[in-house]
This record gives sequence, C-alpha cells and structure tokens, in this order.
Amino acid sequence: MKKIIAILAFGLLVISQNAYCQQPSYTSVQYSIGFGTGDLGDYISAPSFRGATIEYRKAIKDNLLVGVDLGWNVFYEKKDFATYSSGAQSLSGIQYRTQNQLPMLVSVDYFLSTNSEFKPYIGLGIGTMYTERSTDMGQWRLMENPWHFAVKPELGFLYEMSYSTSFKVSAKYINGFKSGNLDASQNYISINLGMAFNL
Amino acid sequence: MKKKIAFYIIIIGIMAGCYPQGPEYYEDLDLVYTNYEEKFDFASKGTYAMPDQIVKVEGNLAEGEDPEFVKEPYNTQILTKIQANMTAMGYTEVEDPEDADLVLFPAVWTNTTVYYWYDYWCWYYPYYCGWGWGYPSVTATTSGTLVMTLVADGTDYIEPTRVWTALANGLLSGAVNTNRVNAAIDQAFEQSPYLDTK
Repeated sequence: MKKIIAILAFGLLVISQNAYCQQPSYTSVQYSIGFGTGDLGDYISAPSFRGATIEYRKAIKDNLLVGVDLGWNVFYEKKDFATYSSGAQSLSGIQYRTQNQLPMLVSVDYFLSTNSEFKPYIGLGIGTMYTERSTDMGQWRLMENPWHFAVKPELGFLYEMSYSTSFKVSAKYINGFKSGNLDASQNYISINLGMAFNL
Repeated sequence: MKKKIAFYIIIIGIMAGCYPQGPEYYEDLDLVYTNYEEKFDFASKGTYAMPDQIVKVEGNLAEGEDPEFVKEPYNTQILTKIQANMTAMGYTEVEDPEDADLVLFPAVWTNTTVYYWYDYWCWYYPYYCGWGWGYPSVTATTSGTLVMTLVADGTDYIEPTRVWTALANGLLSGAVNTNRVNAAIDQAFEQSPYLDTK
C-alpha cells in the first residue's frame, strides 16, 4: 500500500513538474491571418494578411492557464466599378472596403498534454471586440464602429524550442454579437503563428 | 531580452507598414449618381430640348447678370455625348423647349478644398511647436461635378418638375480628361434604363 501511495505521489509530482509549473507564465506575439465569415465574409471576401495577436497567460493549475488576448486584423478589398441601387437612386463607382477587428478577451486554455515538447490545447475566450467598418466611395466615407460582446473558441499548440521560448500556432473563431448599426454579428477565423516567451 | 524586444518591434513594424493604401488614380474616385421620379412615364415621351451652352455655376450671380459657360471645345464635346445618349434612348431633339416633352439642363461646378497643416514638425521636436516661426503646409484638391437635369411640364405637371437628375463627380487633375467625362455621361444613362422610350 505504501508503495502504491509512493508511486502515486511520485506520479503526481512528475505530472505537476511540467513546463507550466517550471514556467508559470508566458507572453506571445503572433502574426495573424484572418478569414471573414458570415456578414464580414459577404462584405469583404478577401482574407486579411494584416494582423497580429498579443497574449499573456498564467498557469493556475498544471494544465490550465488563464490570461488575456489582444488581437487586430484589418480586412480590405477594392471592389470593381459597380452600381448600387436603393429605390429610385443609383450610385456607381469603385468601393474601397476596410474593416478593422480588435478583440480584447479574457481567455482560458486547457492543455491536453504537457509531458512532451509538443503541447496541444483548447481554449475559450470572452470579452469585447471593436469593429471599425469604413466604405469609401468617391470622396465620401461611410463608417460604422460598434463595440460587440465577443466569444472565442480556440485550438492550438505550443512547441517548446528551449526552456524559455516556444513556437505557437493557433486557430480562433472570433464572434462579435450583433451591435450598433451593423445588421449582423461580425465573425472571422484567425490563424496565428508566432513565438511565446516565458516570463 | 533584447531579442524579444527586437521581435516585437519587427512585428509592429511589419503590421504598420502594410496597412491598405486605397485609391491610386484620379478616376478611382469618380462617382455617378442618378435619381428619378418613379411615377413619371418616360416611355410615353419622345422629344426633348437642350440649351447649346453649359452653365458654369460659380461665385454669386446677381439678378439680370449672365452666368458663365463652359468653354469650347469642352462645351460641344459634352453636349454631343449627351445628345448621343438621348438619341440612343429614343428621344428626338427639338429647337423650341415649348414643343418638347422634356428639357435637359446641363451644368457644371467645381469645388476647391484647401488644407492647411500647421506645426507639422511637432512629431520631431515638441519644443518647436506653437512658436509660429514656420510656414504652413498648404495643399488643395479640386473636385468637379457635371449635373444633368430633365424637367417636365405641360400635361404632366402644373409647374416645371425635375423628373431625372444625374450627377457625375470626380477629383480634377491638371489636364481636362474628356474620356472620364464621356464615360461618366454614358454611365449615367446606362444606370437609368427607365428613360428608354423604345
């Protein structure tokens, strides 16, 4: 019995001596690619190759980390010359559509494995997102800039390159619920690649 | 630590450097707007009259004073393009507006916006701000608008009434670009298929 208890205690000790106990917090900076879905995808079909995410995480359990996400993606598309009609009125020209998304979320990540250099995780986030949508046509601009209540499921992994540095890849689905004068919720998928540094 | 800071700076620099640029050429900002009276039956009309000069709306016009007009050859070029489009829609031009079902009034105006930048060096050395020793940076943009208005009276209305309006607006470059004006006139008629009498 004593042996079993000793083995269990040793096992728990080994499990708890994972990277996150040794390295209880980290910050990461990632390059972000965005794909608009729903209303945002209809408005701008081109993916966003301009974006970044900054994250901070702190371990509260062996495989559970909490922290904050700050993100930014700008979606942009130059539409072909076209005519837009409403009732008896018609307007023709080139539209320049730009949409900035800035999610600010409190997040929790659950690591599925922490015993190897490859550490996959699933995460959830909740918070707010700022949208700035501008439609430029001729010398005029239409602008909407609501704040949304936002949620984010996430999948990803850390690959430990050294004691203090990891490679980080993640996929997030960020959904900002309907708000302001925009007709629908604003959501997109972001693929993020970057580095995480232990603090 | 230095590597981390350098990494952050590179990421921020890349992001700031690749923000979308927007329009590149004057014609990228060209707009054509049309509006019409939905109850008016254009198909039952067949004739129109049009002045042989295009009014240039600028400054203040005193009562009894003649307005300025667009100079040649631009005046004729614009009128010819309008006539071609009206003919294609099935209308016949008549001399006397009293004999016409509709009268088309073309006019143009320009609008110049001047931007002044004071203290634009402040980002470099805040101490130099607000002393008034420098020169303001001045830039100006001029936009031009061509308006075409179709007016009906006679049996349809007691008073002359605007039944179709077209506005073509764009940023003016140094030289007159006839192609842009012609394209805008064509576009105004193209997006107004209800004018067709055929």
